Amino acid sequence: MVRRPAQRQVRPARIYQTVTTLMDHRVQPRIKVQKPVWYNVVESIPPSEVVTRPLPPQHKTWSPKIRKASRLFQPQQLVFEEDALRKRFFKDHPWELARPRMIIEADGKDAHRCDWSKGLKQPGIPLSGESVVQRQLWRMHNIPGMTQEEAYDLTRKEFYRLRQEEDIERRVAVEEARMVGSYFGQSYLQVGMHLEDLEHERWKKWALSEMTKIRGEQQEAYSGTVDDAVADPQDEDLEQLTETIKEMAA
Amino acid sequence: MIIREFGVRQGRKALAASLRQGPACLRQLSSLSSETSGTPVAVADPVLQSTLKTSPEAKKTPSLFMQTAKPARKRPVAPDTTKQDWEDAQALRKSMRGVGTTVQPVYSPNDVFRNPPGPKDVTLELLMASQAHMGHHTSVWNPANARYIHGIRQGIHIISLEETAAHLRRAARVVEEVAYRGGLILFVGTRPGQTQIVTQSARLADACHLFTKWTPGTITNSDKILPGLPMKIVDQHDNELEGFDQHLMERRALVPDLVVCLNPLENFVMLHECGLANIPTIGVIDTNTEPTWVTYAIPANDDSLRCLAVIGSVLGRAGEAGNKRRLQDAQKGVVAWETPQAISTWTKIHGKRAEWAARAAREAAEEQAAREAALSGEEPLEKEGEGEVETEGRFRRGQNFRERRPPRASDDS
Repeated sequence: MVRRPAQRQVRPARIYQTVTTLMDHRVQPRIKVQKPVWYNVVESIPPSEVVTRPLPPQHKTWSPKIRKASRLFQPQQLVFEEDALRKRFFKDHPWELARPRMIIEADGKDAHRCDWSKGLKQPGIPLSGESVVQRQLWRMHNIPGMTQEEAYDLTRKEFYRLRQEEDIERRVAVEEARMVGSYFGQSYLQVGMHLEDLEHERWKKWALSEMTKIRGEQQEAYSGTVDDAVADPQDEDLEQLTETIKEMAA
Repeated sequence: MIIREFGVRQGRKALAASLRQGPACLRQLSSLSSETSGTPVAVADPVLQSTLKTSPEAKKTPSLFMQTAKPARKRPVAPDTTKQDWEDAQALRKSMRGVGTTVQPVYSPNDVFRNPPGPKDVTLELLMASQAHMGHHTSVWNPANARYIHGIRQGIHIISLEETAAHLRRAARVVEEVAYRGGLILFVGTRPGQTQIVTQSARLADACHLFTKWTPGTITNSDKILPGLPMKIVDQHDNELEGFDQHLMERRALVPDLVVCLNPLENFVMLHECGLANIPTIGVIDTNTEPTWVTYAIPANDDSLRCLAVIGSVLGRAGEAGNKRRLQDAQKGVVAWETPQAISTWTKIHGKRAEWAARAAREAAEEQAAREAALSGEEPLEKEGEGEVETEGRFRRGQNFRERRPPRASDDS
């Protein structure tokens, strides 16, 4: 879709001034004109300032060496203390990124209900790397003498315990379900083996067709009888295989 | 007829007894259930049995032998057990309340439609939960929106929620005041999924809505595009008035007094027309939208339906409050708006024409009477009680009139 380029307009912001001018400078001054319904409203609630660029919210301290102000009015990157902790955690536990995360918020007040001194599980927030990071941060700030490394180790061990509990729950749930008669689909390993089998069958067909092709070429090259042993000295097993395949197909 | 015991005392039947069962039937079954349990019993027709059992004052000769006898009613009329059923149901529900899991209140997209938030409910937390802070990628930004941006995170611009809240409250005040002054407001949202948002806001604010493509020229070429659409004239209490059909046929079409647009990027033509016609506009401005296209910008995420639903309901509730205040003041006799010039001019002209027509008719009648009197030779009688003649289209003084569009069938949904 071709987007119309954004053309700056001046009329919408100046409707009040336009209408005032039109009413004050009438061609027929005696004929009464009515103020528009919105006139007093826009007069008392003027539109806000647009297009000007004030200094953006500062999220970083500028280096005293910088003298040019070229990027001073551009929005800045939002950087938090937790970013470094998140980077470390997800680098050490890459498969935690593969876990699906629910990021929908109900009323946006989840943070008010969190108390990271109590543990990793908080109301309304699913257990994830984010909980580890927040608990680690709380430890770093609230326990005197706690280093980043120490906080990280303590918190991640709590996390492993909780994940292990989840795994056990899942395993027990599967057992209970099987006990009452439910059945499950193939496991990942079984699916993998099935795919391998299919690939192997496909290869066998290809191998057979290739063998037929090579034999045909050799028969064309040599006018006499073809000594199969001479032609394919090392493929005796393959010949047996071919025979077995032909028998099975028949 | 075999009647099996089918649990009349418990189960769903207790909560909603069928009206088809007669009192005799119930009495029969209740007596059965007390005696036997679960075994099928062959019983004769309960109606006949009941007539034989319970009506000693009935006729002695069987109705079979009487030609004038009325046929037995196939469906006996049941007593109304609604009150008792309801009370039983409530008691059952109360006793079962503690059973089962406690479900935590979770987010549902319908919450904003079931309970639309108003301007007083606008908080930074609500706006953040509605994803109003998420702008577009930094490469597609409009630098004119730099003042609304809080920072950059994960490659996108983050809109400052303080700005969003402040601008949203300002826009809500504008909507409320325009509604208080009887202005016509139009809510526009043309993207898929915005239909429900726009119609709900319009319903709350008693305004018009648009969720399909804006026909270019609807305002600037209104004389060609809009005539023929239904309109009505109302007074300061929003009561429809009769007698303006002639005016409604002749007059120009209405244009809105305020336009609220949920996707300005797609509706540039409409906003341009509003600028030409000096109509104030309110628009949801994302980081890639041009803020000068609208009079009152609301910097927010225009790609999130949840965010637009919140903004739409806030403005709808503001319109509702404005209308309520207008009607309350009208009750006291305070009207903040004037009759539009088109209507007042027409009523004046129409009134004068009617007066002249009445005077001409009166003079013609007098002339006729005088002629008849002269012919018959009698003195002309003086009419008694000749007060002001009721002219057609004489309008009540001290009343304000304005145009409105009549409600549509879809408004009730």
